[in-house]
Amino acid sequence: MIPLYGISNLLIMITSLGISIFVFVKGPRNKTNKIWTILTLSIAIYGFGGYMVSLSENAHSALFWWQVAYIGIILIPVLFMHFVCSFLDIKRPFLLRIIYFLTSVVWILNIFAKDLFLGNVSLFFENSKIFKSGYWIYPPTPFLIFYIIFIFGGIAILSHIELIKGYKRADHFKRYQIKYFFLGTVLGFIGGGTSYLPCFNIRLYPALNILVVLYPLITSYAIVRHRLMDIRIAVTRTGIFVVVYSLVLGLPFAVAFWLKDWLIETFRASWWILPLGLMAALATVGPFIYIYLQRKAEDRLLADQRRYQDTLKQASIGMTRIRDLQRLLDLIAHIMTKTVRITYVGIYLFDAGSGEYVLQVSRDKGRLPVPKLASSNPLVNWLILKPQPLIYDEIKLRAQDSSDLAHKQLEENMRLLTAAVIIPSFLENRLLGFIVLGEKISGHIYTQEDLNVFQVLAGQAALAIENAQFYEEAKKMQEQIAQAEKMATIGTMADGLSHQINNRLYALSLIAGDTIDTIKLTDTTKCTPEVKEMIGQINYALERIQANVMQGGEVVRGLLKYSRQGDSGLDALDLHTILNNTLEMVQYKVKLSEIDIVRDFPPNIAKIKGNLTQLEEAFFNFIDNAYDAIVERRTLLKEAGYRGRITVSAYPKDEHLEIVVEDNGLGVKEADMKKIFTPFFTTKTSSHKGTGLGLYVIKRIITEMHKGQISFESDYKVGTRFIIQLPIAK
Amino acid sequence: MPKLLIVDDELDVREFAANFFRKRKVEVTTAVGGEEALSILDNFKPELVLLDIKMQGINGIETLKRIREKDKDLKVIMVTGKKPDEDGSLNICQQLGVLDYIHKPLELAELEKIVMGALK
Repeated sequence: MIPLYGISNLLIMITSLGISIFVFVKGPRNKTNKIWTILTLSIAIYGFGGYMVSLSENAHSALFWWQVAYIGIILIPVLFMHFVCSFLDIKRPFLLRIIYFLTSVVWILNIFAKDLFLGNVSLFFENSKIFKSGYWIYPPTPFLIFYIIFIFGGIAILSHIELIKGYKRADHFKRYQIKYFFLGTVLGFIGGGTSYLPCFNIRLYPALNILVVLYPLITSYAIVRHRLMDIRIAVTRTGIFVVVYSLVLGLPFAVAFWLKDWLIETFRASWWILPLGLMAALATVGPFIYIYLQRKAEDRLLADQRRYQDTLKQASIGMTRIRDLQRLLDLIAHIMTKTVRITYVGIYLFDAGSGEYVLQVSRDKGRLPVPKLASSNPLVNWLILKPQPLIYDEIKLRAQDSSDLAHKQLEENMRLLTAAVIIPSFLENRLLGFIVLGEKISGHIYTQEDLNVFQVLAGQAALAIENAQFYEEAKKMQEQIAQAEKMATIGTMADGLSHQINNRLYALSLIAGDTIDTIKLTDTTKCTPEVKEMIGQINYALERIQANVMQGGEVVRGLLKYSRQGDSGLDALDLHTILNNTLEMVQYKVKLSEIDIVRDFPPNIAKIKGNLTQLEEAFFNFIDNAYDAIVERRTLLKEAGYRGRITVSAYPKDEHLEIVVEDNGLGVKEADMKKIFTPFFTTKTSSHKGTGLGLYVIKRIITEMHKGQISFESDYKVGTRFIIQLPIAK
Repeated sequence: MPKLLIVDDELDVREFAANFFRKRKVEVTTAVGGEEALSILDNFKPELVLLDIKMQGINGIETLKRIREKDKDLKVIMVTGKKPDEDGSLNICQQLGVLDYIHKPLELAELEKIVMGALK
């Protein structure tokens, strides 16, 4: 029967050996790791030696195996110190040399002069009922004491001091690693330290030796993993696991052990069924108990974190109801900063117009954020390839470990953005945008659970944002439709309005006319010169009124002509006539004196088969648009001596008359060209905006009603040409 | 003295047009709408009626019809504010027989020529 400490040493050996191989293979290839591999190997040797000691039947072999164990044990402190120095990147060549020297001395002593070091071994605890064959101890020789105090103890203290100093200087991630190291070493030293106590005649069985298993496990985890679990969780989970499973396994064994006699008495040959049954029962229930306790413990530990994660989940759901894009973005940023308590949040959204990711919202503590990222930026490309959150600490580690450019670029970009985490937001494989998070105010790292919740949030946010964007567009469309309807209504009112105005003008005309007539018929020869003059002035004033009235009549006639619901018949039309009528109407909207209108076609140009009213409307829009483009160019480019010109040319082409309306206005941008004939599209600024229906209507008139064709060419800052083909009248 | 009946629902039109023609030795009577015009016609026999089309109550076309029922030869000039033949009224007037069909607004000189010409 192997003693208890034998089992623990066996476990130490197996786990340490396994870990040293694992870390060597999986861990980063640097000096720190190599030292750690040797350290774990030394622990394995210690475990092996200790195990063999427990199996020893006599003092002689026990002594031998303790020597073997000490080959490993002696090296542990110095290797650990070296490890810490390498990890923290501090140079202590002098100190290290001294320690190595002393260690070598003791090490040689152990091998060649064991009596001096270990002395004689004797058995302890031999009468213990529980701990079977006792524990081989060795009396504390002076060298041993020296070793324990100065080398073991001294180095332990020194290395921990260095760790504490390093903690203060370390970055976020390293700090977390150091926390894990501390945890490991505390456990390790408790485990190892208690093994010494019996040597000093203290009756404490080295049961805690088992803790030494945890030491390499925990520390290696901290070295290899780039994303560390919250340490509190790690501890509780391990603790609960140990408690539950020692119960599950231990209880049956204890029953078998203590109640063995009673069991044999009761059940004879099959006495072992009870303990076995007990183990089976406990093993079934075990996992559930474990999960239950774990959840309870974590709920308490992570109450804070759970709280904000729940808040985030709820916010995700409520988000899709917000239609105002700006409010939505503000809300997201607000929730992140306030609930999760983050130092900085920035939301970048893709802008289709410029092809960049533009910073929309930023909550920060006084830093200058990067306003936009081009889609060619390596960070953006990476996110598109790997749609997962990016953590700065991880990227930094990878950039240090590997030599490829991608990680280094990522690290640099994230640093520029002052990002601790970047969460991409996708909608159907499109990267809609991303959220940049700074560090948590509390200094805690972002856990996997945090990231999971953020991803959900980002997904919901993408939906909500697209929703809001659609809604904004829909609203804009509705406004434009309402405006167009208003315009149409005014058009239908033109009839009634013009009639009313005509009535007023008629009355005015009669009043002024009749009064002039009266003046003419009155004999003023007997009036004084002043009175004569006054009458003259009154007469003149009335004549001016009449002139204005006549002009008013012309305006009304022009308006009526434009808004009239013409018939839809087709006639043979002269282009000159169309143009003349158009210009007569358009003069009220457009300052014709500011521009030159050139007609580049002969007076006897072939007649078009078309509808006069509709073509007048089409050309009205052409000239109106051309004029606006000219005004825009004048305002934007401010060229000296610039004069707007519209040229209308035409020549027959087979069965059609090809008409070109060309202007030297601002022209149309490449990005807008596709949309130019779509309804409600306009590039005009809000003060000049019409309904945006002009070109859409023209296209319909030309293609649908006249069965013609229309196309256009444009150069931004040069001008635009519309090319129309209309059938010639036979 | 020739007699003229001016039918128009605008006060200014009736007053000033009447004043104008009275200065030219025409006896002028005015009516506000179609009904008043028809009742006046029983007593006052004008040579010419200046009839506005769009009026409240019975409009000009209807009035013209009723006039024609009583007198086929009475000279009538129709006055309209609308653009040429928006409502087919030109055809009806032609069928019923009118002397002229004029559009508001027009210059007084123009109106004088037409009316004085018709009263000879």
